[in-house]
Order: sequence, then structure tokens, then C-alpha cells
Amino acid sequence: MRTLMRQKKGQFIIIAVLIIAIMIVSIGALLQRAVVYYKHEPWEEYLTLIEGVELNSQRLMEISLVNFTQTSLSESTSQNILQENLNNWTIDLRHIYPGRGVIAGYTLENGTAYNYTLGLARSWNNQTSLSTAKATFELDINSIGLSGYEFTIESLLTLEILNATGNEINVVVRGIDQQTITNLEEENFKVEDRTITNLLAQYDPEHVLVYTIVCDSSTEPPFNPNVTVWDHNGIRVVASM
Amino acid sequence: MMRKFGNTKGQMRLIEVILASFIIITALGFTNLLSITPTSPKYEATELEKLGYNVLHDLDKQGLLPRFIYNAEWTNVTSALRVTLPMDVYFNMTVYDSNNDNVAEGLYYGDSSTFSDANTVASITYCLSGYSIQTGPGQFEAVYDPRILILQLVRI
Repeated sequence: MRTLMRQKKGQFIIIAVLIIAIMIVSIGALLQRAVVYYKHEPWEEYLTLIEGVELNSQRLMEISLVNFTQTSLSESTSQNILQENLNNWTIDLRHIYPGRGVIAGYTLENGTAYNYTLGLARSWNNQTSLSTAKATFELDINSIGLSGYEFTIESLLTLEILNATGNEINVVVRGIDQQTITNLEEENFKVEDRTITNLLAQYDPEHVLVYTIVCDSSTEPPFNPNVTVWDHNGIRVVASM
Repeated sequence: MMRKFGNTKGQMRLIEVILASFIIITALGFTNLLSITPTSPKYEATELEKLGYNVLHDLDKQGLLPRFIYNAEWTNVTSALRVTLPMDVYFNMTVYDSNNDNVAEGLYYGDSSTFSDANTVASITYCLSGYSIQTGPGQFEAVYDPRILILQLVRI
């Protein structure tokens, strides 16, 4: 043992290992501090929350537009429906997410190309008719420091009568960004004073999809058709030639 | 052979190596003790919340969630959640209206004791704004009627 103790070779390895050990422990301590002081932010969760608010705001716009285009409601009631719904929605959002600090505001579209009033507009009984709603939202979520996040929601349904020959009426139905609506059925159309016997959907190079409404042949042509369409949400448009 | 046994010069090196190994293992063990890895149980609640939000949002985007909730198709809600959530995740969902009145409760999968005994229970709040349903040919009922969904998740 004494011989061992007197040996002076090999101390370098001990010193090197000690230095390595000190480095490992220091890195460990740094990591620990980084973890303790790092605030874990679940960004994906916040994004889903924002997307959820956007999606349900979009749905609310559609609900309001459905009410606006229902002929059973009075003019004044239906014109204010979007504003009323959005007022309630922004108030309810605060209570629904109490710990989040969600504050939503909105600006309804007025004027512009479609002559909006309180975010709603309809131009019916033309060869190309439409129903539309548009609003811009501003969202704050205080708990994550999100402020002034803006998104615009527009809902639109357009009906264009291309031509009416004999007992057939060719129409095109479009949504946002001129996208052709392709999932309509016979039940989604109505022709005034006529009974629809069939609906054909045909590809068209210009309009992508043209619906041919076939009416009963008991009534003599020519006639100036008055066509109503409603999409699967219930948004209605009336067009006539 | 006898000479080799009598040689004591290499023994110190051996002790040094043992000491060095011991020091390094201690340091690594200490570091491991302090570190919190991304899969740590500390993040379990966050992971479950993320999962819950994604599942509800996907069902909402497909239009299934509003249909099930507003038509009171509670069996379908439970089935949809069972299909979309992982097998080892138990859930318990309650639905409220805007007056905080209970519309539906007990939409669950798993033992109720699992939630009371679990260390980590994630709670997710999701909101639906309203619905539009067809009541007749060309007639629709579209109403602003918020529903608040509280989904609790536990991993077993």
C-alpha cells in the first residue's frame, strides 16, 4: 500500500476525470436552470383555440345569413341579425374561456361592391343574384399575450341563370372565390309556378359545373323563370330572368 | 510468472480507472436527476390538453360535433371520441348551455374512479356557436345557441 501511495504516475488521469466530471455537473446545473425558468408554452393548443373561435365565428356568420335570407323574417329583424348574434358571441366568449382572457371585437362590412348594410347584403331577382355576409374580427387572448389578431370572414352564395330553353333552365351556383358549388340536389332548387322533375349536373369548361333544372312539360314555354336555391346550410338566393 | 505476480506498478492505474469510472457515473446520475426530458410526466397534462383540443376541433371541422351536440346524439359523441382518442386515454365530457345549465353529462369512457384517483387530469373547454338544421323543404332553423363542452382526459 505504501508503495502504491508513493507512486506519482497517473495523477493526470484523475485530474482529467475530475475536470470532465465538473463539466458534466455544470452542464447538468445549467440544464436544470433552463428547465426551471423555461415557461412551457403549448402553442399548438393556442392555435387550436384560435382556429376554434374562427370556425365558430364562420358558422355564426352563416347562421345569420340563413336568417337574413329567410323570407319569413321582417326586413328590420333580419338586417340586424348579424350584429345581434356577434354582440352575443363576443360577450359569451369572455365567459366561456374565463381564464384565457379572450376578448373579441368585430367590424361589420358596410357599402363596398355588394352594398352591405350591417355586414349583410342580398341582390335578388336578377339574372345573377347573391346573398352575402362579411365581417372582420379582432381577437385578443391576454393569457398568451396575443393582441390584435385579425381575421376576415365572408360568406357568399351566387346564383346565375345562364339560359332557359323549353322546360330546361341552366344555372350556375358559386360560393366564395367563385368556387362552383357541386353538391346540390333536386331538393335544393325551386322554380316558381313549376314542378321540378329532374336535376342534371354537367361539366362545363367555362363554369366547371352547370345544373340543368328540368321542369314538367305541362306548361307552355316560353317562360321567365324565377329560381330559388339554398345550400346545405340554408343560405338562400332568388334569381330570375 | 512469479515475476508478473510480484509486479505492483500497474495497480495504481487500475484504482485510478475505478475511481474515474465512479466519478463519471456519479456525475451522469446527478445530471439525469436534475434534467426534465420532453417526455416527462410534468408535461402530461399539456399533452392531453393538446390531444383533446385537436380531437374536438377536427370533429367540429368535419361538421360532426355540432350535429351530434345539437341533435342530442350522445351515443354518437361518445363513439366518435372513443374512435379518435387513443385507447389508453379515458374521457368524461359534460355539455353546458350559455346559462351554465347542464345539457348532458356522463358522456364517458372508462371507470369514474380513474378520474378521482388519477394524478394528472387534463381539462379542455371547447365552444360551439350555434346550428342550422332543415325543418322542411327550403325551410331552415338557424339559431345562435352556444354550447360549452368540458372534456376531461386521463391516461391510464
